[in-house]
Amino acid sequence: MGIVDWFRLIVGSAFLICGLVIFFTEIFGVFHLKYVLNRMHAAAMGDTLGISACLVGLMFFSGLNFTTLKLMLIVCFLWFSSPVSSHVLSRLEVATNENLDAHCTIYENLSDLEAELSQADEHRAADTAGSDTQSADKTGGEAS
Amino acid sequence: MIFHYIYITVVIILALMVFACLIRAVRGPRIADRLMAVNMMGTMVMVMISVLALMLNEGYLVDVCLIYAMISFLAVVVLSKVYIGIYTEKREETRNPDSNTKEGGNSDGNR
Repeated sequence: MGIVDWFRLIVGSAFLICGLVIFFTEIFGVFHLKYVLNRMHAAAMGDTLGISACLVGLMFFSGLNFTTLKLMLIVCFLWFSSPVSSHVLSRLEVATNENLDAHCTIYENLSDLEAELSQADEHRAADTAGSDTQSADKTGGEAS
Repeated sequence: MIFHYIYITVVIILALMVFACLIRAVRGPRIADRLMAVNMMGTMVMVMISVLALMLNEGYLVDVCLIYAMISFLAVVVLSKVYIGIYTEKREETRNPDSNTKEGGNSDGNR
């Protein structure tokens, strides 16, 4: 094996191990978190970052040929399709859950959320001007 | 030869992770949990197919992987829409059971 083959082996193995670690993190997050809208975060991370790391490692193994181009096409397709499927799944959960208020804060119209966020910004600016900067205000903006 | 051992190891680890996803799909309390676990399984199977394509040195298996990605995405979207429609229909029935042909004005399935 020449020096180029060793370089391909080391870099490709590093990317593959990164991808496997990201997949393991995805599994851990899916079993650790308690609700679907939280678990979806971990699942979407594996769908985009994990598979792209694994396939970049396989591209290094494959070398420069047409297979590399097709692997890149798979990665590009998943970057477009995974956010769409996550959005559709979260819409399914929000549409079919009866007691969604137990898990997250729901804003009926968006202006309430914007008003609360701007109020929180003012509070944070006042806090940084004062002494205590660690008053974390949970606005729940990620829930809606 | 060392590439062959790397491919075998990666495929075995991914098989264990697919089994963990299957456990999540069985245990998931809500329908979105199960669909999400099926989506994760599809992602890991895509990586397995790509590894097999390089291990067997067959380029056409990557095409199979691309078609698998498209069909997995389509399955998630279609099943989500179907379950939203079923739920909306059932809720309309329980709300007014006498008039079953009521036109839902702004129901969730139409958005």
